[in-house]
Amino acid sequence: MIDARRIDLLDPADVARLGGIEIVAAGVVEGFLAGIHRSPFRGFSVEFTEHRAYQPGDELRYLDWKILARADRLFVKQFEEETNLRAMILVDTSRSMAWRGAPTRLTKRAYADRLAAALALILLRQRDATGLITFDEVVRTVVPARVKTGQWARIVRGLLETADGRGTAAHAALLQVTSLLARRGLVVLVSDLLFDRDLALTALRYLRHRGHQVIVLHLMDPDEAELSGPPEVRFRDPESDASLVVRPRELARAYGAAVRVEIAAWRATCRRHGVAYHHVLTDMPFGMALRLLA
Amino acid sequence: MTFLHPLALLGLAAAAIPALLHLLERRVPPEAEFPPLRYLTEAERQSARRLKLRHLLLLALRTALIVVIVVAAARPLMRSRASAASLHEPTALVVILDNSPSSGVIVDGRSLLERLKAAARGSLTRATAADRLWLVLADGVARVGTREALLATVDSVGVSPYRLDLTTAVRAATRLVDAEPLAGREVHVVSDLQRTALGPGRSDGPRGVRVLALAPPDQIPGNRGVGAVRVTDGAVTIGVVGTPAAGVGPVTVRVRGREVGRALAAPGTAVSVTLPPLGAGWWQGEVTLDPDELRADDRRFLVWRVAPPAQVTALAGAGPFVATALAVLEEGRRIRRGNDVAIGDRPQAGRLTSIVVPPADPALLGQANRVLAAWGGRWRFGAAGTPGPVATPAVTGIGGVQVTRRYRLESGPGDEGPGTGRDSAVLATVNGEPWMVRDRSVLLLGSRLDTAWTVLPGTPAFVPFVDALVNRLARGEAPVGEAEGLPRVEFRARGADTIGAMVFGPDPRESDLTPAPAPLVREVLGADVLAAAALAGARFAGTGRRDATGLLLALALLLAAVELGVATLTR
Repeated sequence: MIDARRIDLLDPADVARLGGIEIVAAGVVEGFLAGIHRSPFRGFSVEFTEHRAYQPGDELRYLDWKILARADRLFVKQFEEETNLRAMILVDTSRSMAWRGAPTRLTKRAYADRLAAALALILLRQRDATGLITFDEVVRTVVPARVKTGQWARIVRGLLETADGRGTAAHAALLQVTSLLARRGLVVLVSDLLFDRDLALTALRYLRHRGHQVIVLHLMDPDEAELSGPPEVRFRDPESDASLVVRPRELARAYGAAVRVEIAAWRATCRRHGVAYHHVLTDMPFGMALRLLA
Repeated sequence: MTFLHPLALLGLAAAAIPALLHLLERRVPPEAEFPPLRYLTEAERQSARRLKLRHLLLLALRTALIVVIVVAAARPLMRSRASAASLHEPTALVVILDNSPSSGVIVDGRSLLERLKAAARGSLTRATAADRLWLVLADGVARVGTREALLATVDSVGVSPYRLDLTTAVRAATRLVDAEPLAGREVHVVSDLQRTALGPGRSDGPRGVRVLALAPPDQIPGNRGVGAVRVTDGAVTIGVVGTPAAGVGPVTVRVRGREVGRALAAPGTAVSVTLPPLGAGWWQGEVTLDPDELRADDRRFLVWRVAPPAQVTALAGAGPFVATALAVLEEGRRIRRGNDVAIGDRPQAGRLTSIVVPPADPALLGQANRVLAAWGGRWRFGAAGTPGPVATPAVTGIGGVQVTRRYRLESGPGDEGPGTGRDSAVLATVNGEPWMVRDRSVLLLGSRLDTAWTVLPGTPAFVPFVDALVNRLARGEAPVGEAEGLPRVEFRARGADTIGAMVFGPDPRESDLTPAPAPLVREVLGADVLAAAALAGARFAGTGRRDATGLLLALALLLAAVELGVATLTR
């Protein structure tokens, strides 16, 4: 029986049966916020909070000239951001995202939509400007970051109106995204990351270089993590139509190892470039996925 | 390596099943979408070498598994040292079970035949369906059959009245198995190995035929048996046979159930017991010994005829030697003068029987032949024949006697008119040509009984020959014969008259239970003499094979375990 108070901790497929994205996201957020004691996000404020010693690389505009003149010591002022965070949620809508390993589970796209909607609702409730960009080979939908009333509805509509695409040329799409994010903010990429890692990281590094805080949510169906299937099967990539005949039982161990190596490589590379990386299976309750962002 | 079920090897075609399944299975795999194909490609690239090795290893293991199972189903036989549990290559085997009368001896409270039967059963039980089997008993007949059939025959075998000549039997058996195109050829001699059972000569078995003989018991009991029995001149002469160490024992003579005399005799000696005066006619009696461990030879029948003296007339053409002999016989009351039998150079009317010798004058030969023809005979005197020795089984004592002059006796179509006899027989030959024939009621001789024609009148056998001629041969009476068989008496009759008898009994040589020494057996039969345990181990030893089925099944299990391990642990 579904616990209406904490549906964020239930099976995503069960939660998805409650209704549309809005209902699900709202329910998830209600349960999620009821379960934490503070907002998971800290923004930057212009309200002064304290001084600290100057360190090389600090911007000179934050230097407290008065203390310098009075005491001949270098201090910089630290501020608490008063304006809301500008968050942009990037959802991968490529063909590979429309796949699920079992009928009882959500597709990666459906999971990503609901997770993005919930995240957007949380951010908007904190009065953070939140926007949405969907992409596959190109950017499909852009909902600029706003905090005004109706913004969540626009984001949800943007998710609903974006059909499943074809291939994923994340590098080009992400480069296009960078041009859309003029102000620094939070960028949350929700994708199965089935594209070239080095090219994608080039774009992510660029975002990071532009001062964005970048969070990558790596979605994966449980059947993608562990190989299974009939004794012999021809697997076909829905995006490239490439195919390969394999015996899942023979390759299961090597495949599992390859997946773990890939995840580890993403995690290590992201950490090296200051990008937060989280691996999310589509049978993970939404609340737990959101908690990864806390 | 040979196989008990070689047709099962056709199943080796199944060894292609793993490869065929591999090929068939790869043809139409189901198709499914799988987005993270790049991970799969990477995993496949990294595992390609390992998987190829794994596939080859599994294919080899599965093929080998099928091959091993099929070969095991064919029941392979591998060369090994023979043992009771091992099998053997297909073998032609003759088991000679000597159930002659001597096998009935009781040794250690048990019939020797039972011991022999147990050994024969042991040989047959070890045989397989691929073997070709014969069983030879004392009658000398080689019985071919299945193992079960021959075992049943062995179980039903009793003591035979017939003697078995082991030399002849082994010679025939070795040739029998040598003619079989099988890998093994053996002859198992299960006998008491009497010295007397070894016939003359050697068996001279072909090379490659193993002859194994069961060693006789260590202790053979002493035995006495009744050997040859002859009735002559109112007395019966009894030969006692047996093992030399048996000692003296009582011999009892009974005539028509009444004891008429007793004597003591040891094996190898003969005793004479006087018979009481008996009237004319056929008499039957028996000679018995006290019971011992071999009962088959403790009793023997005897038959003799007390005949009235023949009434004989010697005609002028008979010659002086015949006349003299008849005088001697008359003096000894073996004949009387009368008209029953006439001896001359032509048949004599009014006589029951005529003994005809050639006329002394060759010019009278044609006349003699015409008289013979008128008499209704089929035989006549022919041209002069070559000299040579007499050969005859009908009369003792004249065999080998030289004939220097003779006429050939030639047979014609004859005239079987009423009142004439129907029998016609050659009683003696010279150089293979008839010399003495009985043609109905005429006894025809090819030579005159004269020293100018034959040395017979000058030999001691002449008077007994004339005695047999007038008292027995002229009357058509057969002598009392002896033959092997169940102890009994059979009389021969012509019409209402008894004209002969046959006394059956065991061969006197069966009474000597002394076993032949092993070197002699080896020399004569070419056989290895082995005790029962050694024989059991030596059977089929020349073609000893061990059934490798168990070993192969164990190997199959090992292969299956390895295959399972490779299939599961290398995923």
